[in-house]
Amino acid sequence: MRTSLQAVALWGKKAPPHSITAIMITDDQQTIVTGSQEGQLCLWNLSPDLKISAKELLFGHSASVTCLARARDFSKQPYVVSAAENGEMCIWNVTNGQCVEKASLPYRHTAICYYHCSFRMTGEGWLLCCGEYRDVLIIDAKTLAVIHTFTSSQSPDWISCMCFVHSMRIQEDSLLVVSVTGELKVWDLSSSINSIQEKRDVYEKESKFLDSLNCQTIRFCTYTERLLLVVFSKCWKVYDYCDFSLLWTEVSRNGQFFAGGEVLAAHRVLIWTEDGHSYIYQLLNRWAQMGAAYKTFSGLSKSIYPADGKVLKETIYPHLLCSTSVEENKSLPFVMGYMNERKEPFYKVLFSGEVSGRITLWHIPDVPVSKFDGSPREIPITTTWTLQDNFDKHQTVSQNVVDRFSGLRDETGSWAVASSAYVPSLDKLICGLEDGTILIAQALSAAKFGLLEGCSLLRDSSSNRILKGHDQRVTSLLYPHGLSSKLDQCWMVSGDQGSCVILWDIFTGEILHKFFLEAGPVTSLLMSPENFRLRDGQIICCVCSDHSVALLHLEERRCLLRARKHLFPVKMIRWHPVENFLIVGCADDSVYIWEIETGTLERHETGERARIILNCCDDSQLLKVEPVLAVASETNKHKSIEQRSSSSHQLGPMPSPGLQVESSCKVADTKSFPRPFNVLPVKTNSSDVGFHILLFDLENLVELLLPPPLSDIDPSNSFHGGDILRRAKSTVEKKTIKRNKASCSSLSAEAQTKPVSGNQDQGDDTIRFLEENDVIKRQKKMKGSKKVYPKPLRKVDANIAIDTAKLFLSCLLPWGMDKELDNLCIRHLNISKLQGPVSLGLASSEDYFSLMLPGWDLCSTEMKKECSRVNLFSRKVLDLSNKYTATLPNHVGTPKGLENSCDSLQESNTIVYLLSRLFLVTKLVNMPLELACEIDRSFKMESIHKKMKSPGNDILNISSFSGCLRNGKNEFHTPEADLSLLKLISCWRDQSVQVTEAIQAVLLAEVQQHMKSLRKIPISSQPVSLAEGSNCDMMQLPPKTKKEWAEELELQCTGNILPLQTPVSPVKHDSNSNSANFQDAEDMPDRCVLEESESPGQPRHHSWIAKVTTGGIVLVNMFVFSFPVIIINTSLKIILCFFLVIILVIFMNLFINIESLPKGISYFQICKPGFFYLL
Amino acid sequence: MATAMAATAAERAVLEEEFRWLLHAEVHAVLRQLQDILKEASLRFALPGSGTEGPAKQENFILGSCGTDQVKGVLTLQGDALSQADVNLKMPRNNQLLHFAFREDKQWKLQQIQDARNHVSQAIYLLANRDESYQFKTGAEVLKLMDAVMLQLTRARNRLTTPATLTLPEIAASGLTRMFAPTLPSDLLVNVYINLNKLCLTVYQLHALQPTSTKNFRPAGGALLHSPGAMFEWGAQRLEVSHVHKVECVIPWLNDALVYFTVSLQLCQQLKDKISVFSSHWTYRPF
Repeated sequence: MRTSLQAVALWGKKAPPHSITAIMITDDQQTIVTGSQEGQLCLWNLSPDLKISAKELLFGHSASVTCLARARDFSKQPYVVSAAENGEMCIWNVTNGQCVEKASLPYRHTAICYYHCSFRMTGEGWLLCCGEYRDVLIIDAKTLAVIHTFTSSQSPDWISCMCFVHSMRIQEDSLLVVSVTGELKVWDLSSSINSIQEKRDVYEKESKFLDSLNCQTIRFCTYTERLLLVVFSKCWKVYDYCDFSLLWTEVSRNGQFFAGGEVLAAHRVLIWTEDGHSYIYQLLNRWAQMGAAYKTFSGLSKSIYPADGKVLKETIYPHLLCSTSVEENKSLPFVMGYMNERKEPFYKVLFSGEVSGRITLWHIPDVPVSKFDGSPREIPITTTWTLQDNFDKHQTVSQNVVDRFSGLRDETGSWAVASSAYVPSLDKLICGLEDGTILIAQALSAAKFGLLEGCSLLRDSSSNRILKGHDQRVTSLLYPHGLSSKLDQCWMVSGDQGSCVILWDIFTGEILHKFFLEAGPVTSLLMSPENFRLRDGQIICCVCSDHSVALLHLEERRCLLRARKHLFPVKMIRWHPVENFLIVGCADDSVYIWEIETGTLERHETGERARIILNCCDDSQLLKVEPVLAVASETNKHKSIEQRSSSSHQLGPMPSPGLQVESSCKVADTKSFPRPFNVLPVKTNSSDVGFHILLFDLENLVELLLPPPLSDIDPSNSFHGGDILRRAKSTVEKKTIKRNKASCSSLSAEAQTKPVSGNQDQGDDTIRFLEENDVIKRQKKMKGSKKVYPKPLRKVDANIAIDTAKLFLSCLLPWGMDKELDNLCIRHLNISKLQGPVSLGLASSEDYFSLMLPGWDLCSTEMKKECSRVNLFSRKVLDLSNKYTATLPNHVGTPKGLENSCDSLQESNTIVYLLSRLFLVTKLVNMPLELACEIDRSFKMESIHKKMKSPGNDILNISSFSGCLRNGKNEFHTPEADLSLLKLISCWRDQSVQVTEAIQAVLLAEVQQHMKSLRKIPISSQPVSLAEGSNCDMMQLPPKTKKEWAEELELQCTGNILPLQTPVSPVKHDSNSNSANFQDAEDMPDRCVLEESESPGQPRHHSWIAKVTTGGIVLVNMFVFSFPVIIINTSLKIILCFFLVIILVIFMNLFINIESLPKGISYFQICKPGFFYLL
Repeated sequence: MATAMAATAAERAVLEEEFRWLLHAEVHAVLRQLQDILKEASLRFALPGSGTEGPAKQENFILGSCGTDQVKGVLTLQGDALSQADVNLKMPRNNQLLHFAFREDKQWKLQQIQDARNHVSQAIYLLANRDESYQFKTGAEVLKLMDAVMLQLTRARNRLTTPATLTLPEIAASGLTRMFAPTLPSDLLVNVYINLNKLCLTVYQLHALQPTSTKNFRPAGGALLHSPGAMFEWGAQRLEVSHVHKVECVIPWLNDALVYFTVSLQLCQQLKDKISVFSSHWTYRPF
C-alpha cells in the first residue's frame, strides 16, 4: 500500500450513524469500544470522572459487528478483537486505532473469550469463539488462524455463551458453555492445552441439560467459587457449580427479556434486560442467616460435600432472593448492556449501547442497598453520550463541503448532501443535494473552505456552478467520461428520488435530456463496460429502489429497457456482450436474464443454477467485461465507501462505480495513475453522504512538485517511474535545494512557481523541458485518454499541486501552540490557519483505517484545558519535536530558501522542502520491520564512514548519500545530522509513535527552525558555518562538497553523458577504504553508532585486509571493476548510480554469501539495464 | 408523482396517518403471520422445546436412483441425526453384494439440518421479542428487524441449498466412514448430505494408483459430487475414484420448510418495501 497516503476527514454537521451492536470497556477503563451494525468500530474516551467523548471511528468490517473482546493481556498490549456478521475478524490496537491483524473465516461468532495460560502456553494465547457453528473454536490470538475445536461427544450443537472457571483450589481452568438447546457443557482448559496443540480431540468432561432455551450469559461467581449464574431470555437461574444442581429460578415479569447478567459480589448479582433495565439482587442464604455451620460459602471446602451431602443439599435450597432492583429510566428499543467491574482505582460501571448510537453509563456503588422501607432504590445515570453530541459540541470542525454555498444562498440551514461524486480529471466535486440542486465546485477550494480560516476565495463563482433541474433529492450521480474516455467530456448524469434521470452538460449547466423512468428512487447509476456496445454507444444502467432496472442510451436519448420483475433488491448487474443480455442478480440469490434488444425476460433462475450463471460470467471476465456491481446489498450498504472517484479514472476492465465495498486506502491503491489529491464521498447510511475524505498522496505530491527541477537539471527526462528513479529524482531535487543554498538562482523553483507567477521571462530550455515533462506526465496520467486542453491543464496541475501542498501543511501544523509561529507561517508560507483541529485518518492496511472524530483533541487526558482547540495530535508531538530540533544541526535549518528575494519562490521552495521531509518521515516510520534492520546496518555503515573520513572524503560523502538513497530518503545534510535524525526517527518507529505524530513533530521542528531563521536573519545568503570544537571540519566540509556537486551536476547536464563503461585504471585507495567500510559493517554487527568517537585509523584498515574472505575478494573485485568508471566520468550521477548498485551487490553478497566472482558479475549485469535506464 | 414538496397539508396528514397505521397495525400483522409460518417451519424440524418433548420420531427413507440398483440405502432420520443406516452395494465387477450398517451406539449429525433449524429458531426469537405489546416508533426500526430476520432466514435456506463441497481426503477423514459396523473397506468412501429437499448418499469406489502409473496425478479439489477419475492422496497412498454411486430421496418436510423460508422471505421484503415507500416521503425522518 501507499504509506504516504494521508487522509483528512471533512465531517458534516450530522454524525455518521452508529447503531451499536457490541460494546466493551477496556481493562484500563479509559476506552469504550463499540461495534456497529454499519460495520465500523468507535473508540470513546472515558475520562477518570466518567465523561465520555468519541475519539475515533475505525473502518474495516464490511458487515455488522457481532462481538468484541480483548485479544491480549491488556496491560501489555491494548488489543481488542472484533468479529463481523460475515466472518471477518480483526484485531485492533485501541490506543492508536490501527488494525493489527485481520482474517476472514467462514464462521459467524457471537461471543469471544480471550484465554491465556502463561505458564503452559507459548504464543499470545487463544481466542475461544462460539457462534453459529458447532462447538467451540480455538483461534490463535496472534495470527487469527483456527487452531482446533473443543468438540462435544453428546449432542453437539451451537454454543450460545461461555465463561471461564478458574479454581484457585486445584489450579485448573475450565470452560463452561451453554448450547442453544440449553445444554451445559464443561471442558478442561488448562490440562487440555497440550492435546489441543497436538490437534487431538478434546471432549467435554461433563454435560447437563438445563431445561431452558436461549441462554444469554453464564457467569461463575469467583467470590464464592460455588455459584453459577445462568441468564436465559425468559428466566435466570442459579446453580451450584459442584454438582450443577439448580438453586433458584427467577422468571421474568411483564414480558421482559433478559439479556445478560454479572455477579457483583459474593451473593449479589446484576441482571439486565433487552430494553435497558437492570436489577441487582441479593442472594440470601437462609441457612447462613440461621447461623448454621456455613458462615460463608467462600470458605466452603469440598471435603464437607461428600461427607454430608444431604445437609448440604438442604442448606442450598433456602436461597431467598431479596432484590434491590435498580431501574434505569428511559424505555429504549433494545440495548446491549454489559458490566465491567474492577477493584479500587476503578469504578463499577454498568454500561449500555443503543441502536440509536447512545452510550449510557451507570456508576454502581460498591455496596448497593435498598431504601429504608425495603423498596428498590434507583441508581441514577452517570453519563450518557452519542456521536452526535460530539459533532454538536465541536461544530467548528464539522464543515461540510457544501456548507460553503450557504453564502450563495439565502437560507441559513445547510442541506444534506444526498449524493456526491468527485471528478479527478477536472478536480470537481459534484454534490447532489436534498432539495434537488446539484452543486459543482472546485474540490480543492471546497476543502479549503471547510478546513481553513478566512477562505473567501470562493467568491469566484466561475468554477462553481449550481444546476437546477431536479425537484427532489438527487440520489445518484455519474460522470461517464471518467469511466470511458470515449464518451463526451461534458456529460454528467444524475438521478433523483422521483426516478427522473437528467443528462447535463457539466460545463454549461444545460439540461440535455430528461428521462422519466416511472420507477422508484434511483439508487445508483452505472455504466456498461467499454467493450459492451449496443448500436455504437455505451449504456447507462439505472438501478431503482423499487427493484427495477432501466437501461438508458445517452446518445440516442432513449430508454432501452425497463426491467421490473425483480422481487428483491438488485445486488449485481452483469453484462453479456455477445448475446446482449443484462444479467441481474438479486438479494435472494436469484438471477434474471433480460434481453436488451427486445426487452423481454429471457430466464429466471434461482439457487444453484443462478450461482453458476453468475460464476460463469466471472470466468468470462477476460473476454467480455462485465462490471461487478455490488449495489448496496444488505450487508454492504452500511459501510461502503463509494469510490466513484477512483474507479472513474481507470480504464478498461474494471469494477465500475457501484457502491463498492472498498475503503479509501485500497481505493487509492488501485488507482492506475496517482493524483496528489482525491476526495472520497463516504456514504455511511443508505440515504445521505455523511462526510468526505480528502486523500493526500504525499509521495505523489512531492513527485509532482519536483519534476520541473529535475527537468532543468537533467535532460534525460525519460526516467520516470521505478523506485530507484524516484530516489534519484529526490536526490536531484535536494541538490537543487542545496544549490539554492549555494546561492545559485534556482531555475527549478522558478519553473515550479512559473504557473503561479504567470509565465514571466523563462529560458527556452525550461519551457521545453516543462513541456516535455508535461507530455510525460500526461502520458502517465491520462493513459491515452484524450485531453482537450493540455496547456491549461498543466497550469492547473501545478497550481493544484502547490495548493494541495499548502492545504496539507495547514492540516498538519499544530496551530495555536505558538501565536508568533502561526503568524509567521501564515505570512511566509502563505498558508491559512485551520478553523479547528483537523480529523486525520490513519490507514493501517488495505481495507482498514481509522478516522478521528470531531472533538478528538479533548479526549486525551494528558492534554491541558488551555490547549484544547489546538491542532496537536498528542502531547508526545512536542517532546518528539524537541528531540528532533535537538538533533537537527543548527546550520541545517538556516540555509534553505532564504537567499532569494522572490517571495513566492522561496515559499514554494520551503513547501517542497517540508513536504519531502514529511515524506521521508512517513517512509521511515512506516518501514516494515525487515527493512528496519537493513537501515540499522546502513547506520552502522555510515558511522563507519565517518571514521573513514580521512582516507577519502568525497567517497565518504557519496556513500552516505547513497546510503540515504537506498532507504529512499530525501535527507541531505551532513552525515552526522543525517544519521542522528534517521536514527531518531527510526527510534520513533520502535517506540510505536504514530505516523501522524511523527509527521507533525518533524513539521513543527522544521517550521520552527525555519521561522527562527526568518526572524533572525531576514536576508542571508551565506550558509552559516558553525565552527566549534573538533567537529568543525566535519560539519563544514559537506556543504562545500555539495556545492561542488551541484556545479558538477550542472556541468553534467550541459555536457553529454559519457558512455557507461569507460575502462580506466583503478584507484586502489578509494576502493579499499570503501570496501573496508562494508567489511566493518559486517564484522561488527553489534557495534553501534556510539563508536563514532573511536579514532578511525590505519590499524583497522589493515585488520580488515587481513580478514579478507572470499566474499571480500568479490567485493574488492567489484570495486576494481567499477571504480574506473567513476573516475573517468567524473560524473556524479554515475557515481551515485554505481554506489547504488555496489551496495545492492554487497547486500546480495552478504545475504546470499556468494563465493565466486562470475556470479557477482552477473548480478552486476542484472543491474546494468537499470543504469542505462537511469542515465 | 406526488412529491413531498408538492404535497398539501391534507395529503401530508393522510400520509402520516397511513404510516402510523402501517407501523402500529400492519407491521404487527405481518410479524404475526411471519411467526406463524416460521413456527410451522420449525415444527418440521422437530425443535426440542417447542411442544413435543422427548425423542424425535424416526423416519425411514429408502434411497435409490432411477437408473441402476447398484446402491440401495435405507437411512433413518431422527430429528437432525441419522440414527440408522443400511447400505447395500452391489459390486459392479463380481456382482458381490456388500452390506453395511451404522453401529448401534452411533448417530450421525446432519449439520445442515441442525444449522437450518437453529437459524429458524433465531429468527423466531427475534420476532418473539416484538409482540403486539411492542410499539414501533420508526420505520428504521422495522427495517432493522426485517434485515436481521431475513439474514437468519437466508442463512437457513442457504444451509440446505448449498451443501459443503468437500475434497476427497476430507470425506475420507470424516467420521462418517468410521460409523459403520462392518468397517468400510478401504476402497469405499461414503458421504451423506442434504441438497435442497433431498437426502443424498454418495458412495465412491476407489482403486489405488500404482506408484509406477504413468497417469498424471492431479489431486481433485472440493466438489459436491466427484466424478470417476478424480484422484487424491490419502495416507501415502494415491487413490482414484473408479465408480460413483449417488442415491437420493426427497424428505417431504424439508420441502415444506424450504417453501416456508421462501414465503417468509418474501413477506419480509414486502414489509420492507412498504416501509420504504413512506421513507421517500419523509426523508428528514431518521429512517
